[in-house]
Amino acid sequence: MVRRNELMKSSIDSLLLFLISQQPMYGYQIIKELEGRSQGYFKFKEGTLYPALHRLEKEGLFAGRWQMLPSGRQRRYYYITEKGRSILVEKREQWRDFFAAMNLIIQPVKA
Amino acid sequence: MATDLSHYLDNLRDNLKLDPADEKEIITELEAHVEDKLQEFKEAGLSNEDAVERCMGLLGSAKMLARQIYEAHSQGTWRQALLASTPHLFFALLFAPRGLVGVAWLPVIFGSFIAIVLYGWYHGRPTWLFPWLGYSLLPAVIAGLFLLYLPKGWAWVTILLYVPLVLWLLCYITIKAIKKDWLYSALMLLPVPSIVGWFLAMEEGGIFTAFRLERLRDFGPWVGLSFLVLAITVAAFIRLRQRWLKILALGTSGLLTSTMVILSSSKLGLFAFFGLVFLMLSFLLIPALLDRRIRHSHQQTAT
Repeated sequence: MVRRNELMKSSIDSLLLFLISQQPMYGYQIIKELEGRSQGYFKFKEGTLYPALHRLEKEGLFAGRWQMLPSGRQRRYYYITEKGRSILVEKREQWRDFFAAMNLIIQPVKA
Repeated sequence: MATDLSHYLDNLRDNLKLDPADEKEIITELEAHVEDKLQEFKEAGLSNEDAVERCMGLLGSAKMLARQIYEAHSQGTWRQALLASTPHLFFALLFAPRGLVGVAWLPVIFGSFIAIVLYGWYHGRPTWLFPWLGYSLLPAVIAGLFLLYLPKGWAWVTILLYVPLVLWLLCYITIKAIKKDWLYSALMLLPVPSIVGWFLAMEEGGIFTAFRLERLRDFGPWVGLSFLVLAITVAAFIRLRQRWLKILALGTSGLLTSTMVILSSSKLGLFAFFGLVFLMLSFLLIPALLDRRIRHSHQQTAT
C-alpha cells in the first residue's frame, strides 16, 4: 500500500506551484496554508519543504526575496517566475487529466 | 535548550558544504522558521524545552536536511560545466594532434589561466574556478623541476628556498579550497596523477630534451585522450547532484587515466599503475581527512 507521505512527496512541486502562484509566501506560511486548506491532510515537515523550495528556486520556477519585518527579523518570500507559471499551466492540465482518468476508474459511468 | 537548536543549526551549516553566502541565507531562513514554530508551540501551551524538542523533531536529522538542501543547490548549469572543463579541453587539444602544438603558446595559455583564476578567486570562488586553479599552479611546479637541473650549488638554493615556497603556496591554496569543500580541492588536484603518470612514461634522463619532446609527440593522442576524460569528468561532476556520485566520477577518471598511461607505455607496469591509483586516492582522501580535522579543531575552539 502506498503511504500518504509518498503521495505527498510526489505532489509537492505541484502543490507549491499552485499555492505560490496565488501569492508570495514564506516557508512557515506555506506549511500552515497547506495544512489549513487541506483540512489537515497535507502536513509537510520542514525537512521536506525547504529542499523542495530550494530545488524549485534553483530550477528557476521560484525566486526568493528577503523581506525585513518591523521587528527587525527577516523572512524569505518565494515568488513564482514566468517559467514557473508556464510549468504551472502544464501541471494543472496533467492533474486535470489524471483526475478525469482516476474518476473513470473509481466511479465508472453505468451503462 | 536554545543551545540545542544552535548546535543543530551549526551541525546543519557544517554539513551543507555550499558557498558561504548561500549557507548564511539558508541558516537565516531556517532560524526565522524555527522562531515562528517556537512561538506557535509556546502559544499552544508547551514549555520552552518541549517546544524546542518538537521543533527539532519536525526539522529531522541535521545531516539529512543538509544533504537534501545540498542536492538542491549542488547541480551546476551546462554553462558552468563547460567553463569548468575548458582547461582540460585546452590541454586535450594541445596534445591530441600528435604532440605538443606550439610550445611557445604555453606561457600565453598559463598567463590566461592565471588571469581567469584571479578573476574567479576574487569573485566568490565558484566551482568552475578549481580546475583552472589546479593548472595555474603547474608553472610553479615545472619551474621548480627546471631549477633542480641548474649547475651544481644552485640546486641547493632551489631545495632550500624555492621548494618550501611552492609547497607553502600549494598548501595555502589547498587548505583554502578544503575550507570551502574538500571535493573542490580534489577537483583542483584531479590532473596531477595523470601528469605524474605521463611524466614517468616519458622519463628518459635529462629534462625536456629534444628526445623527450619527440616522445611527447608519440604519446600525444593518448595524453590528449586522458585530458578529454578529465574534461568529461569535470562536466559530470558539475552536473551531478549527489555527492557520492561526484566522488565516484573523480575516482573513475583516475582509474581510466592511469590505465591509459600504463597501456600506452612500454616501460611502466602494474606497479606503476597501483602507484598512480594510490596517488589519485591520496588526492581524494587527504583533503577529506584534512577537512575533518579542520572542522574538528573549529568545533573544539567554539566549545
